[in-house]
Amino acid sequence: MSGDVLRVRALRHRYRDTVALDGVDLDVAGGECVALLGPNGAGKTTLVNLAIGLLPRQDGEIRLAGRDPRIAATRRRLGVVHQALGFPSTLKVAELVAGAAIRAGRPRSAAGPIMAELDLTELAGRRAARLSGGQKQRLQLAMALVTDPALLVLDEPTAGLDTVARRRFWRILSERRARGAGVLVTTHLIEESAAVADRVVVLDHGRVVAAGRPDELIAQLPDRTVIVRTVVGHDRLAALPGVVSTSVDGELVRLRTRTPEALLRVLLAEDPDLADLRVETAGLAEAVLGLTEPTERVAAA
Amino acid sequence: MNRRVFAVELLDELRGIVREPTALLFSVLMPVGLFAMFVGIFGRDASGGLSGGTSMLATFGTYGVIVVTMMNPGIGVAQDRERGWLRAKQVSAVPITLTLAAKVVAALTYAFGVLAAMAATAAALGVLDTSAGALVRLGAVLLLGSFPFALLGLAVGFQARAGASAAILNAVLMPAAVLSGLWLPLAILPAFFQQIARFLPTYHLAELARAQLAGGEILPHISVLVATTLVAAGLAAVAYRRART
Repeated sequence: MSGDVLRVRALRHRYRDTVALDGVDLDVAGGECVALLGPNGAGKTTLVNLAIGLLPRQDGEIRLAGRDPRIAATRRRLGVVHQALGFPSTLKVAELVAGAAIRAGRPRSAAGPIMAELDLTELAGRRAARLSGGQKQRLQLAMALVTDPALLVLDEPTAGLDTVARRRFWRILSERRARGAGVLVTTHLIEESAAVADRVVVLDHGRVVAAGRPDELIAQLPDRTVIVRTVVGHDRLAALPGVVSTSVDGELVRLRTRTPEALLRVLLAEDPDLADLRVETAGLAEAVLGLTEPTERVAAA
Repeated sequence: MNRRVFAVELLDELRGIVREPTALLFSVLMPVGLFAMFVGIFGRDASGGLSGGTSMLATFGTYGVIVVTMMNPGIGVAQDRERGWLRAKQVSAVPITLTLAAKVVAALTYAFGVLAAMAATAAALGVLDTSAGALVRLGAVLLLGSFPFALLGLAVGFQARAGASAAILNAVLMPAAVLSGLWLPLAILPAFFQQIARFLPTYHLAELARAQLAGGEILPHISVLVATTLVAAGLAAVAYRRART
């Protein structure tokens, strides 16, 4: 991976009395995909808006390809895929892609190959506002890619796409990353981001609470899920030693615990006939939940 | 690079005009139709050394140009904000002032169409008695003088939704048009209308336009319009900074 295309240091941002970001550091290297995760209100949107130059910086440092993102010319190498963008009703697909190229200082002819790559050529003369949700996402990606971006910022990029379209979306991005583009993605599809991101940064209450490879974050969470069919009542299960939380999944009960062996011994003592026993490690979603809700976890325990 | 980008921005705005003929109908036909009706009735009456038709070209022209330059960019920017398109423009490599300037310039092409249609109507009805040079000056003054109104439209568009923007701008423009004598000469309206009119930029733009046809002082009107431009620019800047995109 090449040098940083996004560099954020000690970033602080307030909305009147509310601290949105409290000393955030973040790097995205060329060719790297970083997933920004965290609960609602964690500060993800503020961080992204500062990174793409939408908000003025209050305190700290932000560099997009080594320059201030608030300067319009800096954003020539920035591609953004917005969540739920509505296109003007009067503009056609080809006009939008060509316009994006020219606005980024690239030739109009750059639009054709990108449109072909994203299967938009046949839609070139169609009004963008009349496209389906998936077609609009492809159009947005085309408008982002035609700028030959150093950094791609994707906000819930695969929302509304089917599985095939999602795979294709990430494959195209993977090709761009191989050519040196950095990617910063915010999504609620945590397991999807685990599959595509090189690194995950978890924000909570305006701070980075964890950062690393997805498998490293998962390894930080010692929780396991014991899945079992049992006659033991729900209240009794919740009161068993070591149970962090319980949930019911049809006839099965899911018990989160940090001490699965001890819990299994107690469970077998309570119900020697328990069936369908399975023990699973936590996924990235559980890891993020565990990192951002420590108070609730302690209370539940 | 900026000229090329501005051309793209302007072309997109002009495509919006051509491809939305209903908006064209409202913005051009409504003021021109109103003008034709009043000119048909009062066009041959003398007014301040001019025929009524020629004088009304200044007042109705003021109204027609302001309708277009205030409404189109204002409502357009409100629509862009609602659909998230303004946000997309803000994070592009184009300075937002260039995008907004393209909206205003595109509206001026509309406004030019309104003025040309009014002049043609007055000529067709035989009530146009001024030189081509005076008509060119009138057009230039009205198009340039509409700038503060475009800024006011943008200020509203940055804060209100598209539907509300249209309502707010109409609520401002309609009374201002009546009180400034844009539809009926102030001379036939109650005296207090004239007292109020002196404080309205719409009145001063109409008087500046009339001065191109009939002569008269222009500096007081220019001063008011420059002051209005400064205030409107400040309002638009504040509204933009506080806009939710």
